[in-house]
Amino acid sequence: MKILTILKQVPDAESRVRVQHGSLDLTGATYVLDGMDEYGVEAALRVRESGVDAEIVAVGYGPAATDQAVRTALAMGADRAVLLEGDAFHDPLTVALALADVVREEAADLVFVGGKQADWDSAALGPALAEALGWAHVDWTTAFDLDGDAFEAVHDVDDGSETLRGRLPVVVTTQQGLNEPRYPTLPNIMKARRKTLDTRAADVGQDRMVVTGHAGTERERRRVMLDGDARSAAGELVRRLRDEAKVLREEGR
Amino acid sequence: MIDFELSPEQRQIRDLAQRFARDEVMPHAAAWDRDATYPADTVAAAADLGLLNVGVPTEHGGLGLAMLDEALVAEELAYACMGFYTILMASDLGVTPVVIKGTSEQQARFLRPLTEGPRLAAFALSEPDNGSDAAALRTRARIEGDEIVLDGSKMWISNGAEAEWVVVFATADPSAGHRGVVAVVVERGTPGLRAQPIHGKLGQRCAPTAELVLDGVRVPRANVLGEVGDGFALAMRTLDRTRIPVAAGSVGVARRALDEAARYAAERQAFGAPINRLQAIQFKLADMAINVETARLATWRAAWLVDQGRPDAAASAIAKCYASDAAFATANEALHVHGGYGYVDEYPVAKLLRDVKLNQIYEGTNEVMRLVIARSLVR
Amino acid sequence: MILIVAEHAHGAARKSAFELVAAGRTLAAATGAPLAALVIGADASSVATELAGFVPDVHVVADPALEPMRSEMTTRAVVHAAEALGARVVLVPGSRSGQSYGPRVAMRLGGAYLEDVTDVSFEGTAVVAQRPTYLARVSAAVRTEAERVVVSVKLGAIAVAPLADTTGEVHRLDVPFSDDDRRLEPGPRQAAAKGRVALEEADVVVCGGRGFGSSEAFERHVVGLADRLGAGVGATRAVVDAGWRPYGEQIGQTGKAVAPSLYLALAVSGAVQHLSGMNRSRVIVAVNKDADAPIFKVADYGIVGDVLEVVPALEEALAGRD
Repeated sequence: MKILTILKQVPDAESRVRVQHGSLDLTGATYVLDGMDEYGVEAALRVRESGVDAEIVAVGYGPAATDQAVRTALAMGADRAVLLEGDAFHDPLTVALALADVVREEAADLVFVGGKQADWDSAALGPALAEALGWAHVDWTTAFDLDGDAFEAVHDVDDGSETLRGRLPVVVTTQQGLNEPRYPTLPNIMKARRKTLDTRAADVGQDRMVVTGHAGTERERRRVMLDGDARSAAGELVRRLRDEAKVLREEGR
Repeated sequence: MIDFELSPEQRQIRDLAQRFARDEVMPHAAAWDRDATYPADTVAAAADLGLLNVGVPTEHGGLGLAMLDEALVAEELAYACMGFYTILMASDLGVTPVVIKGTSEQQARFLRPLTEGPRLAAFALSEPDNGSDAAALRTRARIEGDEIVLDGSKMWISNGAEAEWVVVFATADPSAGHRGVVAVVVERGTPGLRAQPIHGKLGQRCAPTAELVLDGVRVPRANVLGEVGDGFALAMRTLDRTRIPVAAGSVGVARRALDEAARYAAERQAFGAPINRLQAIQFKLADMAINVETARLATWRAAWLVDQGRPDAAASAIAKCYASDAAFATANEALHVHGGYGYVDEYPVAKLLRDVKLNQIYEGTNEVMRLVIARSLVR
Repeated sequence: MILIVAEHAHGAARKSAFELVAAGRTLAAATGAPLAALVIGADASSVATELAGFVPDVHVVADPALEPMRSEMTTRAVVHAAEALGARVVLVPGSRSGQSYGPRVAMRLGGAYLEDVTDVSFEGTAVVAQRPTYLARVSAAVRTEAERVVVSVKLGAIAVAPLADTTGEVHRLDVPFSDDDRRLEPGPRQAAAKGRVALEEADVVVCGGRGFGSSEAFERHVVGLADRLGAGVGATRAVVDAGWRPYGEQIGQTGKAVAPSLYLALAVSGAVQHLSGMNRSRVIVAVNKDADAPIFKVADYGIVGDVLEVVPALEEALAGRD
């Protein structure tokens, strides 16, 4: 069988993100493989390690620098990679349509997609890709087991979690808890040098939505530090929450 | 032409080392230092990732890592803990003479096992009464038929008690000076070999150091690297290479010191503002940055020469001497920026200073480095 | 026409339904377009009646297989309703389920998807919105001219709508589901703690970190304080990874995003990923023994101290208040 794992490069969470005159300033940001996508690579590797004869293809999309993310997946153990090179931003639905072409061309059976992107804060790519393919999807997945072409997955829902059973093909979006991604080891980094990375221009259609501006979201905070021992600080806190911030309801229980 | 762009693989190697250092080394470094704990589990974890014995050639199951790649790893690991990196570095110091001079049979016998688990090598040149004057060593090697018998003692041997085997330098003929030196691989557990751990180190306290006592130790002649008389030159060629990781580790310590100082200076208030608003502090930070950048340049150049097949004794000595002096100065200034807090264990800067002092001493003191450099100038 | 998808649980509309009504009324008023609600479920009649107090038309899709929610069945129902009713804008909640069928609906309608918005309006014929990006540190303005637009609205971003003074009509809608819509078979569910207010709907959230030392101490102090305040319980990633609390309680990038009136961060250091899940809270209180913890930079009130001392003192102060 064939497993695809979809990758994106995002600014490291520690990188400074600034907004100046309505546009985004990411100067000096370091870029990494999106952590949510890393869960997907790991999940694909574990399916193979469970004894399934599978080829794992890492599929990256984004600007040329995304090859770093793709190489990370190769060093983790993916067999080969495809990089759809294009603009840094596209509407997730538009990206999904471009990726669907690759999934069909590769005749993949199982696709892992990061549950939520750390740059666009979007959870739409997985469901949109499944829809573009006419496949089912499982989102916010915390466990995934495959037996032949039957799978059982556990995923987060609004009021807890749910088990879903079904058959391939399926798009699975990841969630923290699915696994603990491995480091690419030094021997695997060296081996990955010899793996194929097929870079091609992304064939994306018209975006259905455009970004017209940016603004910071930082709010003014009071930043009052309450001193004294635990008792007096706690007493002062309750007083201020009630009288100053007015966020404590009188009944309180 | 000049190109400072790391290749995609080099960036991955650096990222791997950085991630390992951040997740597995940095959180424990203070405790290892306090209790002088040998972090066996973390050494094993490093081995699992391929970070141990990176110099073992590919034909013997290793990675045959280029020196520049090794320098990238060194900087990241030393950033987290120089002592931890010394454990790995000292093992490669033991591996290097076998790579340089070992026959293919010797390499298969000694190197392959090191790639199959968390196994260390060691290098034994210094003696209790003799360090930098390597030609004057007193450990005796007597040839008896197919065997070599070793008597004497070796001092300050990193991984001395933990190593699977150690390359021992001894003299077969004290009257011949450095032409009498022989390098012999001695395996752990050989009768007559005893390792006495050395306690009370100022820094790098998680890196184990031992005195090796050799009392009629018999090893097969097949364990001799090269011929009798080749030992001294082999030791020097080894150190010409392995001083580069010392330099790279020093860069890591210096960079850490700069980061710690910059962070503290941004938080610490004096006269109603963070102290990084004071020019006196800004200049210190600038000097530290100069140290980090220039030390790295010297290190990378020496590494690049090795990777070009042109290892250069003077370039390695310049890198080791300059980077370790610069790192010591940087750690010292970082401690000073911390004021009284720098003098206690609560902040990591005191440990940086204690740790990096050793970089000015081991693998040849910085005075010996200057001798090596001068030798290339005065002919 | 503006169509809202009203989600519900235990026979009552969720808070998000009334947030969508508010957003929908604004959009409808701007264009004079009619407003309708869609209720999908196994037994949705009581929810439909409830919604009829808020919108003029409520369309109901009922099918036993719709309990629990299935993404593809819901997609079919929403797409069918949007096409049958000629909806320009479909508003769905930014819940886990809304984020599951929202993109599918938009794709199938050949339209655009504006995701997890905090605000939405018309600008001429375009639909424009604001949405958080870059771990909620940046708000992006987005715009679409698409003929059909699906908008998922971030939970808690818009104040709930008041009751209207007319009674709406309830209509039944038959949807031709296919077998494929039911291809995933729901198995056992694990419900979040019973009786506790849903995290995203809570007016007060108490969130604890690893500093409590053990799951027992977390239960006693964090859950105890939350119960006293009628608050939702949240946890940091480290707590969830340690297995003290279920993933459903995690707040942050990979967990839930909340925007309560009051957020108590107890032994929470305030990593960027965590802040992205709570930085829209109206008032933030931080208790941490590390005075340099980044959480204090976003806090309205901060106490430097050990949570194991401060939280009992807080309980005492709250008890004295009653």
